[in-house]
Amino acid sequence: MTHGGARIAAIGLLTGFGHGVEALPDDAEGAAAGRDVVPIATPPVTGDRFRRATRECVLGVAAVDAALRNAGLTRDDVRGSDTALVYVTAAAYGAANRTFAGAAGGPLHFPYTAPSAVPAEVAIEFGFTGSYVILIGGSTATLEALWHAASLVRRGAAARALVVAVETFAECADLYARARRLLARPLVEAAACAVIVPDAESPAWQPAAGAGPLDALARRRAGETLACGPLVALALGADGRGPAAVTGYWRGRRTGLGWPATSAI
Amino acid sequence: MVPVTSRTSVAILAAGAVTPLGPDLDSFWSGLLSGFDGISAIERFPVGDLRVGRGGEIKKLVIGSMPHPPACRASQLLIAAAEDLRARATLACDPARLAVVVGTALGGVGELEHAEAGDASLRRAEGALYDSPAHRLASWLRADGPVLTVSTACASGATAMGLGAELLRDDRADLVVAGGYDILCRFVMRGFDALRSLTRDRVRPFDRRRSGLLLGEGAALVLLSRDRDARGERLGRLLGHASGSDGSHIAAPDPEGRGLEFAVRAALAEAGVDGSAIDLVSAHGTATPLNDRIETAVLKRVLGRRAYDIPVNAIKGALGHTMGAAATLEAVMCLLAGRHGAVPPTFGYEEPDADCDLDYVPATARCVRPRVSLSTSLGFGGCNAALVLESEAGV
Repeated sequence: MTHGGARIAAIGLLTGFGHGVEALPDDAEGAAAGRDVVPIATPPVTGDRFRRATRECVLGVAAVDAALRNAGLTRDDVRGSDTALVYVTAAAYGAANRTFAGAAGGPLHFPYTAPSAVPAEVAIEFGFTGSYVILIGGSTATLEALWHAASLVRRGAAARALVVAVETFAECADLYARARRLLARPLVEAAACAVIVPDAESPAWQPAAGAGPLDALARRRAGETLACGPLVALALGADGRGPAAVTGYWRGRRTGLGWPATSAI
Repeated sequence: MVPVTSRTSVAILAAGAVTPLGPDLDSFWSGLLSGFDGISAIERFPVGDLRVGRGGEIKKLVIGSMPHPPACRASQLLIAAAEDLRARATLACDPARLAVVVGTALGGVGELEHAEAGDASLRRAEGALYDSPAHRLASWLRADGPVLTVSTACASGATAMGLGAELLRDDRADLVVAGGYDILCRFVMRGFDALRSLTRDRVRPFDRRRSGLLLGEGAALVLLSRDRDARGERLGRLLGHASGSDGSHIAAPDPEGRGLEFAVRAALAEAGVDGSAIDLVSAHGTATPLNDRIETAVLKRVLGRRAYDIPVNAIKGALGHTMGAAATLEAVMCLLAGRHGAVPPTFGYEEPDADCDLDYVPATARCVRPRVSLSTSLGFGGCNAALVLESEAGV
């Protein structure tokens, strides 16, 4: 089974400013009020299974829940091997790594140091047993994740694909302070999930000489969210008025990805 | 959902490696055939407080092209493997069409240890990001195409090869350097030691007495191109790849092997072959009681009666578990087995186990020439991957 293309059906978004694009201020820098890091409140979760889970894991689960709500899908709709999961982060493993490196974490903490811990908890929580990819990097990696997810749906390897991104900064704020020259401020913690479904249209790679208008808007309203940035931009562009193009920039490389229409978001 | 598709064929032109068996692909292959392992007492960092202080440590690492190699050991390993690759193949193409896709379980975590130990430099902090070594490699290769870091734990090297193939199929690159790496460091030794996953015995995949793994370090890279664009000699083809999630446990494999079964079935479907075409299975074979039993059960479910007729091997007894590098090394082993007409033995396998009743190649290399191989990988977080590879027969 193959389809002509794939589109984004919904995006779930949590940031240090609150839930959804509605919570984003007009000016993230002003709203940060001098803070380098705008932390995100850890969503409440129930169940003994989460007693060891890091807050990155809980944020990933919450982002998927938000996206499913926005897409009108239930957990039963997405359980099983028909749903692909593509996870991306630049650095959400940093906190867990530091905890373990500092000998503060016990033996059962070690598995949570792997970047795969976040998508693992997501997969366990929602019962995903299909295609599974984890990419590490900033916003360019998120564009690759969106592309790969669309490719899986387009060629029939999945009925739908979720692209999940999580970024946390608070526990590594001193390390990020060393990189003040390289990363914009404020660093805003975020978690996002895009639901990709079959459609006639397909995304296409687009050369990008500079940040596109949606990316600039996302940066202004949400601050620096690293891998979550393109999903914030796509969520902000979901006004139904035509094509959406997002760009990514990371480690000196810039690229762009365009969807013919975002009206379904 | 397992798609059956006819897709652009991807050639594997060449490979390069640095492993505990030696500094290049030739020493890797000859070591596997000779029966010597690369396991030794770890010397590079303190291990006195750990239950197990042995592993597949690379004692001497030489990077000929760099008088001042990067301080980051992960980057050193990757560049050493790339040097070996470049000695065997020409990477001539438009730099914008040369892509890099590498897998890792640990990334630059060794740099984090230095940063936490008091090195306050930006270089150490930046190096702790898991994608730093891939970008360092891309810079060394002067590759301006896509640079991807995959971290599906110990299945990373397989997923990286699969995503590299996708870049070619989508015409996003003309050549892709793909593979995996990981280093031994205190961080990972402490972790596996604390989980009691490391054995004090030999690593004994599929053996009745198996009691765990030993870790190793290494890097392996392959050069991929579209088959129709390939000129001259090649190692073989990547016929199919797939990944699958267990959705079961944060660290342990799913007892039913659901994610692995999904990945194997999907990879076979993408390759357009069934079990009757498989001549060799390179198993993940960590030598933990659970992993080897699950892998065996999945192979029997997917391949049916044919599973009993196919030679199976696992090479982690020779190298240790090289984590992000493991799946790429095992894929390369499959291709070399077809080229040279010899399947390396399963180091440490001596006594059969009732739960693991397939044809594991014991003790010495077997003189058969597999054409189509299946390679399986599993990792933390319920990560699973499978590759279907076709060897180019040697002369």
